[in-house]
Amino acid sequence: MNRVIALCFLLLAAVIGFLHIDSRPAWAPFAINAVVTAEEEAVLEPAPKSKPPSLPLKPSIARPISTWLPDTGAPSVHAASLIALKDGGIRAFWFAGSREGAADVSIYSSTFDSKSSSWSTPTVVIDRVNAEKALSRYIAKLGNPVPARMVDGRLQLFFVTVSVGGWAGSSISSMISDDEGLTWGDPQRLISSPLINLSTLVKSPAIPFSDGRLGLPAYHEWIGRFGEFLRVDAGQVIDKRRMSSGRSAIQPLVFVNDAQDASAYFRQTRSAGQVKQVPVSQTQNAGQSWRIEPDLLIANPNSAVAGLKLSDGSRILVLNNIESGRYRLVLMMTDAKSQWQTIEVLEDDVALPEDQRKEFSYPYLITLDGNDAHLVYTWDRKKIHHRYFSGAWLKRAHTQLTTTEVGNTPEETKQ
Amino acid sequence: MSNLLQTVALVEMSITCAAVIVLLLQKTFPQEFPLIAKLLIILILANLFFWPLGMGMELPLSAYVRGAVGDLSIVTTLLLWTSLLLASKPAPLVFKFALALTAIAFYPLALGFGMLDPYAWGYGSIPFFIAVLFFAVVCGLANWSKGVWIIAIAILAWAAHWHESANLWDYLLDPFLAIWALLAILGTFYRRRRDKARSGYLFRPG
Repeated sequence: MNRVIALCFLLLAAVIGFLHIDSRPAWAPFAINAVVTAEEEAVLEPAPKSKPPSLPLKPSIARPISTWLPDTGAPSVHAASLIALKDGGIRAFWFAGSREGAADVSIYSSTFDSKSSSWSTPTVVIDRVNAEKALSRYIAKLGNPVPARMVDGRLQLFFVTVSVGGWAGSSISSMISDDEGLTWGDPQRLISSPLINLSTLVKSPAIPFSDGRLGLPAYHEWIGRFGEFLRVDAGQVIDKRRMSSGRSAIQPLVFVNDAQDASAYFRQTRSAGQVKQVPVSQTQNAGQSWRIEPDLLIANPNSAVAGLKLSDGSRILVLNNIESGRYRLVLMMTDAKSQWQTIEVLEDDVALPEDQRKEFSYPYLITLDGNDAHLVYTWDRKKIHHRYFSGAWLKRAHTQLTTTEVGNTPEETKQ
Repeated sequence: MSNLLQTVALVEMSITCAAVIVLLLQKTFPQEFPLIAKLLIILILANLFFWPLGMGMELPLSAYVRGAVGDLSIVTTLLLWTSLLLASKPAPLVFKFALALTAIAFYPLALGFGMLDPYAWGYGSIPFFIAVLFFAVVCGLANWSKGVWIIAIAILAWAAHWHESANLWDYLLDPFLAIWALLAILGTFYRRRRDKARSGYLFRPG
């Protein structure tokens, strides 16, 4: 009798389970215009007055603007990221503390006023103690913040928490802001791994789907080192797909080509003796399945890659294009007709003795209007450098790129 | 909603911690604790784990345990609780075998060995869900009704988003359940070999 009742109960659970599966949203295509639309809105106010777009841009193109994110007083900073705000400004996030992985590390934020080219006083977004109280579990340290714009206009901040061990023991949490990042709701934990939810991290920007949900490129770096594409609905993972496997590629950066097609570039983590280049994966069904493609022929020393697709079809990358060390950081560009070429050397300590070379790492790029680019990166772990490349500057670089493509293969892009 | 979810998870973890301590205590005592005594000890210990105790700790004890082991699956939780509180049949060996084999195949794949990710099935794969139901029916046919109840409750908990995870695997399996299944199988084999050796000695022709 007990068995019959148990089986009847199972039948009830089966029906509810099937209804639950049936209520899940279908996988949606990538939103092609969503980012640009949100950012177009953001750019309405600060229309550039000094440079009317109709004027020829020949001699008066300004050099890229260079600023520093404000000092928090902490000796170590890292992992900066950016998001466009509705008022045309940008908000930066980064973590700072006595050292990377220390218990006193907090996530900070500051906003950039493009008129005065200055950053606001930094504020603490979340610290370790507040994170563990809200998540009702012990948290040992905080890491990588990555902001995203939700379809309803709110900001969502993904960040890494670790309870046990090093970064390999990470998981991702997220919190939402209704006021452009001034205040934040309680964090929620994203569950993305079956082994005590260990070892999922985030570094690169999220990709919007046409149904308003987000595709979050994430990665594991414990037993395996591989990329995963999380489909996120508000504060929870509702699906995920593997972007690579094994122990050789983390921190995927996704370039959306069209509603179904996207490429992912990775930071390589290959063992000694293997090729140190940028691994690539490709999807042709909006991220539902990925296949590994031949490497991008640009050197990568096991360091993060940032990238952006501009509205004129060109793409830019910021990365350390050397096989070891992080003492050289370059801005590269390509379009449909040319290979990746270095258009600006941002930092280069190659002339210095090895022990004096600084680290330039963790680049993060956004565009406000589809033509320009804001870049932040870690400068020797002591500061965060911000660079702004105007649309005119990038357009000129693009023009020069197409005119110099033939027979001009830079030394960093190994053919 | 989020606060409720976190509170429920802490309550579960507090009871589980208390249940593990009672189980360990029981092992050291030759006599079986009466049910009322077990309940009383679990009640006291669970409260100790659930409420913040201060003494320099930022969180309740159960939050520290949760930080280390995450949320246990519903199957693990219910198996542990019922083994203490209800006098019922132990899990059949075939259940442990199936669990161990599943875990041995599942974890390497889910942790990055190859492009196939069985963990992703847990978000809403109908074939996977049917396989889980089939497994529950087999438990029923093997006359282990408790297994059917536990799997059915796990499915309901998943559908109700009882824990933070939206993945059915997290309600069915966790590494501790897999380790328990493997150890139980090894223990069974060891006992069988030992019993066989003993009986062989006793009844060996002289």
